[in-house]
Amino acid sequence: MKTKQTIAVIGATGNIGSAISKNLSKGNYRLLLKGSKQDELETLVKEIKTSNSAADVEAAVCPAEAGWEADIIILAVPFGAEKEVAKKIKEVANQKIVISISNPLNETYNGLVTAPDTSAAEELQKLLPNSKVIKAFNTTFAADFTTPVIDGKQADAFIAGNDEDALQIVTELVATAGFNPIVAGDLCVSRTLENMQLLLIQLGMKYNYNWLAGWKILHH
Amino acid sequence: MYELFFRNFTKKVPLTQEEEALIKTYLTPKKLRKKQYLLQEGDVCKNIAFIEAGALKAYSVDDTGNEHIIQFGIEGWIISDLYSFLTGEPATYNIDAIEDAELILISKSAHEELLLKIPKYETYTRLNITGAYLAMQKRLTSIISSPLAERYANFTALYPDIVQRVPQHMIASYMGLTPETLSRVRRRISAK
Ligand SMILES: NC(=O)c1ccc[n+]([C@@H]2O[C@H](COP(=O)([O-])OP(=O)(O)OC[C@H]3O[C@@H](n4cnc5c(N)ncnc54)[C@H](OP(=O)(O)O)[C@@H]3O)[C@@H](O)[C@H]2O)c1
Repeated sequence: MKTKQTIAVIGATGNIGSAISKNLSKGNYRLLLKGSKQDELETLVKEIKTSNSAADVEAAVCPAEAGWEADIIILAVPFGAEKEVAKKIKEVANQKIVISISNPLNETYNGLVTAPDTSAAEELQKLLPNSKVIKAFNTTFAADFTTPVIDGKQADAFIAGNDEDALQIVTELVATAGFNPIVAGDLCVSRTLENMQLLLIQLGMKYNYNWLAGWKILHH
Repeated sequence: MYELFFRNFTKKVPLTQEEEALIKTYLTPKKLRKKQYLLQEGDVCKNIAFIEAGALKAYSVDDTGNEHIIQFGIEGWIISDLYSFLTGEPATYNIDAIEDAELILISKSAHEELLLKIPKYETYTRLNITGAYLAMQKRLTSIISSPLAERYANFTALYPDIVQRVPQHMIASYMGLTPETLSRVRRRISAK
C-alpha cells in the first residue's frame, strides 16, 4: 500500500509497546504514541526520531484522539487494563483494526486468568464488537524486536483474526516489524497462541533463555 | 462525530432510531490532518468518505508532475475515487486534505452489507450517485463549451464557500487554467 496508514500505539512506553513502535517507525506508517507518563513518551519519540530522522511519529494527547486519527490501533497494555482502555476507544475504533497483544498471565506465570473456552483477544472483541480485533505480536518477546533473527533463524510471528482484509494488513505490519508472519486461523486460535507464550515464558524461566526466544515452525 | 452524516442522510431518506443505530455500526470515524493523504494513486480506493468537517481535494498528476484537481469536497460532501471503489482497480486519483478534516468512511464491505441489509441505504446511495452524475455532466459540458469567464462565474456562484476557503492556484487547477490565466479572468470580471 502506498497510502500511509496511521497507527495508534496505546501503552507505547511499555516493554513491548516501545519495541513495536521503534520497529514500525521504519515502515511507511505514521505513529501516534500514547502512554500515561508524558515525559517517558517524549523521550521515546525523541529516541525514535534520533535513530531515524525520516520517522513519522508523534506523542498523542489521549487514547481516544489517537484512535480517532488512526487506521489501526495497537493495544500494548496489560490484559487487566484492556477493559478500561476499550471503553475509551470504543467509539473511535468502530470498524477499525485493533491488535490484541496481551497474554492474560496469572501472577505466578503458571497459568492464564482467562477461561479455557476464551482468550484475551476474544474478550477484547466482546468489548469492541464493531472493531476488527486481530491477535498479533503476542508470541514474540520485546527483546526479539531488536533481534528478530535468533540463532540464524527469523522468528515466526502468528496472527489470528476473522477479517481477511485486516489479516492481510496486519501480515504486512508483522513483516515490517522484522518477523516471519504466519496467519494461524480465526480469532479463537488466539487461545492456542496465548498458551504458546505461556509455555515459552515457563521454558524461558526454567532454562534461562534470558527473554530472547521465539517460535519457529520447521517445515520442508 | 456523525451529526452531519445523519442530518444529510435523513434529509434524503428519513430513518428510524434503530436504523440509524444499525448504520452507525458500519461507519469508520477518521481524522485527517492538513496535507495527509486519504488515498494515493495506485492503491485501490477502499472507502467512500463523507466529510463531517474540513476540506479535501481529489486530483490526478500528469507526466510532468502537474496536479489536475478533479473535485473539491467540504462539509456535507462525499469524496472518493468512485471508479476504483466500484471496480476494485487501482485508483487514478490522489485524495488529500486541504484543511484538517473529520471524515466518516464507509468501506467497500460495509457498503455492500448496508446495501443488502437496509433498503433505505440503497435509496441514499442511488440519490448520491445520481447527484454525482448530474454534477459531472454539468462540469463536463462547461469545460467543453462554456467561455472561461462564464465558467468561473458559474463556479463562484455555485460554490462560494470553496472559492473563499481554497487557494486560487487550486481553483485554477480545477478549472484547467494556469493561475495567471485565472487571475486575468478574475480581473476582467471585476472590471465589469
Ligand atoms: N513484554 C513482552 O515481551 C510481551 C510479549 C508479548 C506480549 N506482551 C503483552 O503486552 C502487554 C504489555 O506488556 P509489557 O511487558 O510491555 O508491559 P509494561 O512494560 O508494563 O507496559 C504496559 C504499558 O501499558 C500502559 N498501561 C498500563 N495500564 C494502563 C491503563 N490502565 N491505561 C492505559 N495504559 C496503561 C503502561 O503505561 P504507563 O506505564 O505509562 O502507565 C505501559 O505503557 C501485556 O498484555 C503482555 O502480556 C508482552
